[in-house]
Amino acid sequence: MYVFEYQRAKSVADAAAALAKTGGKALAGGQSLVGAMKLRLANPGTLVDIAGIAGLKGIKQEGAAVVIGAMSTHADVASSAVVKKAIPALAALAEGIGDRQVRNRGTIGGSLANNDPAADYPAAVLALGATVQTNKRKIAADEFFKGMYETALGADEIITAVSFPVPKKAAYVKFPNPASRFALVGVFVAQTQSGVRVAVTGAAAHVHRATAIENALAKSFTADAAKAVKIPADHLNTDLHGSAEYRAHLVSVLASRAVTAAG
Amino acid sequence: MTGESQYARFGSGKSVRRVEDQALLTGVGIFADDVSLPGQAYVCFLRSPYPHARVVAIDAAAAAAMSGVVAIVTGADLVAAGVKPLPLSIDFKRGDGSPTASPPRHALAVDTVRFVGEAIAAVIAQSAEEARDAAEAIDVRYDALPMVADLDDAVAAGAPLVWPAAMGNASAAAKAFDKAAHVVMLDLVNQRVAPCPIEPRAILASYDKTTGRITLRVSCQTPTGLRDALCAEVLGIANDKVRILVGDVGGGFGMKTGLYPEDVVLAFCARKLERPLKWCAERMEEFLAATHGRDVASKAELALDRSGRILALRVFSLANMGAFATPAGAVIQLMIGPWVSTSIYDIGTIDIRIKAILTNTAPTSAYRGAGRPEAIYIIERLMDAAARQTGIDQIELRRRNMIRPEQMPYSNAMDKTYDSGQFELVMNKATTLARWNGFDARQAEAQRRGRWRGRGMAAFLEWTGADVFDERVTVTVTSGEKNDGEIEIFSALQGMGQGLLTTFAQVIRIVQGDTDRGQGFGSAGSRSLFVGGSAVRVAADRTVAKAKVMAADEMEAAAADIEYRDGVFSIACTDRRIGLFELAHRQPEQRIVLDSTSSVAGPTWPNGCHICEVEIDPDTGAVELVGYWSVNDVGRVVNPMIVIGQLEGGAAQGIGQALCERFVYDRESGQALSATFLDYALPHAGMIEHFEMTMDESTPCLNNAMGVKGVGELGTIGATPAVVNAVMDALARGGRTEVRERAKALQMPLTSERVWRAIRG
Repeated sequence: MYVFEYQRAKSVADAAAALAKTGGKALAGGQSLVGAMKLRLANPGTLVDIAGIAGLKGIKQEGAAVVIGAMSTHADVASSAVVKKAIPALAALAEGIGDRQVRNRGTIGGSLANNDPAADYPAAVLALGATVQTNKRKIAADEFFKGMYETALGADEIITAVSFPVPKKAAYVKFPNPASRFALVGVFVAQTQSGVRVAVTGAAAHVHRATAIENALAKSFTADAAKAVKIPADHLNTDLHGSAEYRAHLVSVLASRAVTAAG
Repeated sequence: MTGESQYARFGSGKSVRRVEDQALLTGVGIFADDVSLPGQAYVCFLRSPYPHARVVAIDAAAAAAMSGVVAIVTGADLVAAGVKPLPLSIDFKRGDGSPTASPPRHALAVDTVRFVGEAIAAVIAQSAEEARDAAEAIDVRYDALPMVADLDDAVAAGAPLVWPAAMGNASAAAKAFDKAAHVVMLDLVNQRVAPCPIEPRAILASYDKTTGRITLRVSCQTPTGLRDALCAEVLGIANDKVRILVGDVGGGFGMKTGLYPEDVVLAFCARKLERPLKWCAERMEEFLAATHGRDVASKAELALDRSGRILALRVFSLANMGAFATPAGAVIQLMIGPWVSTSIYDIGTIDIRIKAILTNTAPTSAYRGAGRPEAIYIIERLMDAAARQTGIDQIELRRRNMIRPEQMPYSNAMDKTYDSGQFELVMNKATTLARWNGFDARQAEAQRRGRWRGRGMAAFLEWTGADVFDERVTVTVTSGEKNDGEIEIFSALQGMGQGLLTTFAQVIRIVQGDTDRGQGFGSAGSRSLFVGGSAVRVAADRTVAKAKVMAADEMEAAAADIEYRDGVFSIACTDRRIGLFELAHRQPEQRIVLDSTSSVAGPTWPNGCHICEVEIDPDTGAVELVGYWSVNDVGRVVNPMIVIGQLEGGAAQGIGQALCERFVYDRESGQALSATFLDYALPHAGMIEHFEMTMDESTPCLNNAMGVKGVGELGTIGATPAVVNAVMDALARGGRTEVRERAKALQMPLTSERVWRAIRG
């Protein structure tokens, strides 16, 4: 770990000012950032700790949406009665992230800002058509994820909450990487008020929508319809744990299982 | 240690709770990194990013000027100071009688680096982070050289630095294959794995100017061997100039059995700087620079007659030594594996040829099982393939070829003598335990769920003892305040999580890990109980015999009339008695000391039959382990709970090799692709929830007085072929001929994609 300055922000405005001034990084749960720092892969200079800011926590239903504060931990989301009732697939997804220690520290805001190509939350945000709220604006899911570890966030922009419209039905199915237990491929299928949305994580450089499966499911929301879709392997990842071809195959299989699980 | 109840509690044969766990689980164990000394500085190793390169220049001037830096040491500095390279295994002769070769292994690379992660310089600084900062600032100019990481490439490329060893009877085997009714052939890869003990290596080195002695506190299984290699072969000093201390060890698995470059550098620098030095490996360093296991590719063939009797076994293997032939690495593949190549079967004719290959990868050495998993994997895969090919039931085929109890003692084709074993009895008990005959119903039920269920077996034996059959034990009985005291037993055996203290304490209290107190081989090769425990028991008996003479003296009786029971000496048929500690108190130095070295007659041959059932998800290729049963002959059992723990932990590692573990070097670049737990897949809890491990104690070992056999490696050896055979069985069922044929080419680990490709074509 390289030497770094640590600051604890009292408010979102405080944090944004500190980030603008130091060019440092916001520290939420630290489950990815601190690990990268320990490996000397990240050298942020200054860490601005936002985990203690009042108002960034909490989960509530607002009309037809569930709004989750950015500093809510995965364990908070997994055990939330509001989430379990309105979007059980989201609670189940949170319950499947990492291990108990990670779920007790890691936050939804941190996960989204990091945008790991194999993280679970981006699939939920994209498939459910959620809105990411920051200290500056509201960003639609389709506009938020820009590339590998890249988002639409500016340097001093901080996620404050995520608003998930409640779907008619939804499910997330993950095929874990045998080593890291991140998603080798994860598929989130949602029948939303505005149609079927399918998001895929783990398979490519960043989370993306599987439009071919969305189209098939729009015609027939059945497991067989999803499974019959042949996903092209171009642009998908090949690594030690799975080829692009295998990942492409898994996308259809997992989508079909998600349809079954969604009921 | 007083009172009769305690003796009863520690009786042999009981599942005594582990006495070491309270400390280990509450964080008050003392591992090497837990100890610090005043004024200690920290060491960071700069490691090669190249698999093979000439070192053109090392410029450490800027680094040396950085904050906190005490010194920077390079390979040239060590050579100039007279430090010799680490010992290697170059005693083998090639098939044609010519000597073998390996490049010299300097503690810090000199001129040339030969694998990614090889240490090239050591930075010593006031803090670990300052040492790391400075290491990053060292400017090394490399000139990249052609490299080879892959066995096939190493052979195809004109094979630089290869040495073959030929064994067995090639012409007799060729004749047997010529007249065989069935020839079964498999290409089998036993992939490279990383041992991954939870505690990485750590060293605290210090130097005492007044005595001229170096003390190393290390995490090591064999402290005496480490000391002797360091002193005699590398530093060129007398053995008594170095003291090795070992505290708690968080797993070894064979990886902590040898002298490492880091040991040399810390010892040398602590003496040179006259300052205590600390180094604790990071996980990635352990992946890159600690020894790996396995990495053998074999072409294996079995010749059988019409009735399924095996006529001959023929195996041609390439064994990857890595960049240097470590002492254990070559022995494991060239000697120990072949010793058990015919396993429990009566196979008179073998032809085994192994080429040990040097590549630009980390050296391979001992890993739980060490040679035996590779050999047993080959024969048990061949047995299942032979059953499938001949149409003979796999149990019947094994039964027809097993060595029978009346053939004991039995000398195998490598002239190794088994003292005991009832292999068919063990297999029969295992099939009963696994409800072998109920499989069809379980398979049909799985089929209804869309799963392909299969079952596999490994019936096998192994050799234990590391070929060192004596151990020294010192017993000291010291009297306390009242009628109590302490019995201390010192030996060079080393607990590393396996519960040795508990097992030995079921005989008495143990101290370990100090080469000033005693020397011996240490703990490796499943030898601790049958060699060390036997030595402890002999020493205890000799102590009692010595004390009987003292008691006779005290009570003015004949020694022959003295009886000993539960810490008390008494004169037969009288009420005259004296306690052990009281007797010790009455001696001139208030204690009784006995120094004893004793041997066992030979190795033990633990054996077992492991049966596994798996289910395959045909859509994804994912393999799920749904049942695991085993019957194990480990001779007499001192602590059943610890033995079962050894079997389960061992099997978990064997399952890991079968299904998920592999250490991968990129074939083109020589870079390590699996040097973190994000990419190196250890088995997880969900894979091991169905264990049912049992022991059969009806065949005590005849080579030691306790009748015990080694157990540490048995699970690892049996699990790998049992799991792979189960997957092959699942793929071969249901009349899917093409799947069955494709499955023959499958290699470990059986990842979901590999299985999916065999299913899909």
